Amino acid sequence: MIENWNRIVWPNVPLLLQGLLVSAEICVLGFVAALIAGFVAALVRIYLPPLRWLAVGYSEFCRATPIFVQLVWVAYVWPELFGWPRDFFTAGWVALALQSSGYIAETLRTGIEAVARGHREAAYALGMRPGATLRRIVLPQAFLTVAPSLVNQLIVVVKSSTLVSVIAVPDLLYQVLGIVNKYYEPIEILTLTALIYVAVTTPLSLLLNGLSARIRYRYGYVSGRE
Amino acid sequence: MLDNLQDLLDPQLFWGYRALLFAGLRFNLLVLATSGLLSLLLSLIICVIRLSRFAPARWLAGGFAELARNTPEYILLVWIHFVPPVLIGLALHTRVAADPLVSATLALGISSSGYVSETLRAGVISVPRGHAEAALALGLRPGTIFRRIVLPQALRRMLPELLNQAISLFKGTTLVSLIAVPDVMYQVSMISAQEMQPVPLYTGAALAFCLIVVTASLLVRIFAERWRRVVL
Repeated sequence: MIENWNRIVWPNVPLLLQGLLVSAEICVLGFVAALIAGFVAALVRIYLPPLRWLAVGYSEFCRATPIFVQLVWVAYVWPELFGWPRDFFTAGWVALALQSSGYIAETLRTGIEAVARGHREAAYALGMRPGATLRRIVLPQAFLTVAPSLVNQLIVVVKSSTLVSVIAVPDLLYQVLGIVNKYYEPIEILTLTALIYVAVTTPLSLLLNGLSARIRYRYGYVSGRE
Repeated sequence: MLDNLQDLLDPQLFWGYRALLFAGLRFNLLVLATSGLLSLLLSLIICVIRLSRFAPARWLAGGFAELARNTPEYILLVWIHFVPPVLIGLALHTRVAADPLVSATLALGISSSGYVSETLRAGVISVPRGHAEAALALGLRPGTIFRRIVLPQALRRMLPELLNQAISLFKGTTLVSLIAVPDVMYQVSMISAQEMQPVPLYTGAALAFCLIVVTASLLVRIFAERWRRVVL
């Protein structure tokens, strides 16, 4: 056990850190892109009735297709059809973003629709323009409503990001599987990897949920501590 | 250009392999059934323990559920496929090879139980206390109360949510191709490697899954509506 640890895990720590960095990049890029795409889809669905069906179809497709299927689809089909993305790293975060943006669009839509009508009408009555009403009145409240779901979605992205190893993006799991194939000693390193992910996702979800609860409390969305 | 596109998208290629693809779909459904049952069983156990009076057991079950939820499915799958066989082999001094179907069932079942146990717990908590108290006053034993009074009501309330979780479990079954269970995605990757035509096959697979899942969610939504009106 100790001997395996010294032989297999320690010499490969730099490789693991490299992989962890790639994983982190993919997660951040994927989540930010998902936020943007989801936001656009939600706005289109609510404010552009002629294009509503497009936004609905987009988010339905993104949510209904399994992430693994989407990943290989983006990685192997998009380059041939659209000539983009040109490398698997891009394909990885694009697929993660695609999947999540469907959920985020749906969440944001319910958040925006949950803002009481009267608030919007009051803003119009005060002479605020539609853009300003959206930015200053509707979105801040919608954000408070959906903050916990967005946190959950980030955790989902982190968990799904392990799949990019399948399309040979050198993330943490890719490096680990390489090491497993090299030494044929899976126990220590695979267990370590599982623990690394748990050690990242658990505190992340606790921290962000705590943060969102604080923000919701601070801005009067909920009257007591949750 | 358009000709080229038609060539690339050739739906005939996807449809031509329907026998193989349906054979693959059967594996997806098989894994869905086995891991779904395992998940329900595990969730029931976790749920009962988490509602018990014995605090350390409560923490242990809660920790297990948290761990199941927070470990990525793919890592759990690989871990279960590779680590326990080696450990068992070391203990018995033989070589043990994991069966991909068993690993798939265990990994997806455990990972799903993290969510399902939470649903079941919410269902159990939503049953009014008075029902259990009335049963107690009638002289039923605690085990019987849970089995005959609380659990049926909890399951009835949570059935639509459980069906939704079955749908996400079905989406998760696509991962099993990675440990060589011959499911749809496994067949798709084999065929597209052989035909050198990834576009129609992967696109077809994506659309097929989308269609199945959208139909299933729609049915569940209609069912849930009726269920709420008629049964609850």
